[in-house]
Amino acid sequence: MVSETLIFLGQVLIFPGFLFIILLAFFAEWAVRKITGRIQNRLGPTYTGYMGILQPIADFIKLLRKEDITPTMADKIFFLIFPIMYFSLPLTAFSLIPMTEVQALTYFEGDLILLTFIFTIITAMVFLGGFSSGNIFSIVGGTRSATQLLGYEIPLVFTLLCPAIPAGSFSLTTIVEWQQNNSWIIWTQPLGFGIILTCMLAELELTPFDAPEAETEIVAGSITEFSGVKLALIRLGKNIKLVLASSLISALYLGGPEQLWILPPIMIFLIKVFVVLFLMVSLRAIFARFRIDQILAGMWKYLIPLAVTQFLLTKILWGW
Amino acid sequence: MGVVKTQFAFEALKSIFKKPSTEEYPHKRREPPKDFRGRPVWLIEKCVGCGLCARVCPVKAIKIIGRGKEVNVTYLLDRCIFCAQCAESCNIRAIAIVGEFEFAGYDKSKMSYIYDKKQLVEKEAEIAR
Amino acid sequence: MGMGLMSGSMIKVVIGPQHPALKEPERFIIEVEGEQVVQVTPRIGYVHRGIEKAMENRTYIQNLYLAERICGICSHAHTTCYVQAVEDLLSVEAPPRAKYIRTVIAELERIHSHLLWLGILAHEVGFDTFFMYVWRDREVIMDLLEEISGNRVNYAMNTIGGVRRDLDQEKISKILKGLEVIEEKAKKYIQMIQKEPTILKRTVGVGYLSSIDAVRYNAVGPLARASGVKRDVRKDDPYIAYDDISFNIVTRDEGDCFSRMMIRAEEILESINIVREALSKLPVGDISVKTRLVIPPSETVSRVEAPRGELIHYARSNGTDKPERYKIRAPTLANLKALCKMLTGIYLADVPVILAGIDPCFSCMDRMQIIDCEKKEKQSWTLDDLRRYAREWYQKH
Repeated sequence: MVSETLIFLGQVLIFPGFLFIILLAFFAEWAVRKITGRIQNRLGPTYTGYMGILQPIADFIKLLRKEDITPTMADKIFFLIFPIMYFSLPLTAFSLIPMTEVQALTYFEGDLILLTFIFTIITAMVFLGGFSSGNIFSIVGGTRSATQLLGYEIPLVFTLLCPAIPAGSFSLTTIVEWQQNNSWIIWTQPLGFGIILTCMLAELELTPFDAPEAETEIVAGSITEFSGVKLALIRLGKNIKLVLASSLISALYLGGPEQLWILPPIMIFLIKVFVVLFLMVSLRAIFARFRIDQILAGMWKYLIPLAVTQFLLTKILWGW
Repeated sequence: MGVVKTQFAFEALKSIFKKPSTEEYPHKRREPPKDFRGRPVWLIEKCVGCGLCARVCPVKAIKIIGRGKEVNVTYLLDRCIFCAQCAESCNIRAIAIVGEFEFAGYDKSKMSYIYDKKQLVEKEAEIAR
Repeated sequence: MGMGLMSGSMIKVVIGPQHPALKEPERFIIEVEGEQVVQVTPRIGYVHRGIEKAMENRTYIQNLYLAERICGICSHAHTTCYVQAVEDLLSVEAPPRAKYIRTVIAELERIHSHLLWLGILAHEVGFDTFFMYVWRDREVIMDLLEEISGNRVNYAMNTIGGVRRDLDQEKISKILKGLEVIEEKAKKYIQMIQKEPTILKRTVGVGYLSSIDAVRYNAVGPLARASGVKRDVRKDDPYIAYDDISFNIVTRDEGDCFSRMMIRAEEILESINIVREALSKLPVGDISVKTRLVIPPSETVSRVEAPRGELIHYARSNGTDKPERYKIRAPTLANLKALCKMLTGIYLADVPVILAGIDPCFSCMDRMQIIDCEKKEKQSWTLDDLRRYAREWYQKH
């Protein structure tokens, strides 16, 4: 009994829990910076560690040592809560995603709904965080985040739920199980994959949907006023969110973790995650930023009808 | 529209495997071009101390004391803007421009160069003796 | 929250003096309702360096290097304008070869300035990959300029009565080789920006300036030409070697950010042709004439088409080796009023694009000038005026 609890604790805290995910997030940041650099014909991080692999960790430590300023105009309590929530919410969400085996750390009927909820809560946090700091750029950035949410939320929820129809369950674990018994959902719902990729770009506020933190317009959007430990947590939270989004896509559409030849499931899963990550980064690199009204118009004109179509098609194909 | 995007995406993907165009400056140094405007150097044995260089210098980086055989030139690197007007104005070509450009430092006192003709003459005389 | 900055639904967004969209300190107070701009108030003068006054205390030769440092990007345009003015005061003329070399440098500078601008615009619309590519290719020109003049910026090529360095055959062939690279890239970029959907979405119809407004607000350079006003000092009042060289003034009628972008991109190709023609026609002979350093009392105005538009220098000499009065009117100052006109009524997200659209160079622009909002009149103040004003202001408040 005691050893079981210890193993579970180890799973939550170390592998595949918090520590592993935080390290993965650092690695993902390095990969994103390196790939973006190479796409743009630059070097990317170079000096810290082999090919600059320790650079994100060095940045994190540097930020921890910086002065932590709370503006006088800021809402003190929320200004403190926002970074913590922004960092811990996606980290919590990871326990619902199957990584080392078909089963996630915790799973129950309807955990997909919880994931959807967490994604929305994060954006709501960004909005409130923007308002709490009292900076004009943050307020505009937060408003933009919330406005953008109105655009991508509906197609995102539709495409998150589409894989649930054939599997007949709202549990991520069941969906992964179903995919391994039948086929990857991307083969039957390629349109859904495209839509969820686009929506995740918007959720992660990557170009072309980075209007909420368009640096040439509103500096850093809702995180303009944060510094020191808070900024370090926010940046880490952002990276975790990035990994979370790619893991979710690879679990929902690319079959999740599976044993292949002698490679353990976690390896296969990580390969899938980084393929999705690479896709997102290269998409980011070849687009310019859309304006917020253009994002909304585009989402409502194209993405929502497409998502609804995908949903109806799946519903018809897999029976009422 | 689609064609351009694909073209660009293709070029972007190609760049991943290309060598980055960034110069790794402090680690790999490139030779400055032949006519690079770097630090001026006084060929003090030629100098007659006419003071023209000090007069044309836009930032007063040159101080000249004495004339003829007793000329003493002080060149202040920290003031210099490397326009090379001194070298151009010098009628007897006693100022040469060398292709150096890494002058950053912490000590201002190391940034003045003194060229003293009298000392040079004495030194030469000593060697001759 | 944000007290004093919010009243009702109106938000005052202060852009600058420090802001990522501005590469130099300058302030724009933008009143926004939702995402729409209602009013713009510029506040200039943050990079005022007292260059005009400093010029009065330096000799003509020393001023050459001060004029060069008015602006880093268009340093050759400023020195060309300066030496033109001084040569006019001296009534000497530079030898033809010097004029051609000046033209070559001026056009190379225009190419690199326009490429720089293209990159900045790409950055403003959030297209960082394109920005990196453009700036990577701009290095070709920067290296060429370093090769010719001995420095990447502040080329110091001009001197009173000519140029300081000659072009030999080796350098000429290097320039031609570099131009080929740039021409190929520029053509590719023009083809791309014409069709790239995300760039089009952010630039077409944004920041409209009609040709009537362009004339009324005294727009100069690519901004005026993008609104269909054929205004180019190189053709209107040919200086250096421009009257011997055949070239077109690129104009477009749309008057939006897209046309400003296209104008600059096409001007790159035009400049490449100018450099080629100038190099092929390069006359033999001296590159400079000896001049006196003391100038008899006289005054003059000199005009140059800088990459950003018409640049005007005014000089008055008083028989010594120093100018008595020097005045610079940089193109950005002329374009600022048109800019405020364009910024009204647009989306906040478009502000950086339009701001970048005029290719502002604030350090060029900032001279001592007061715009009195109450009296709606513009006047230049001396230091005494300013002191008096400060005294009165403090007595009142």
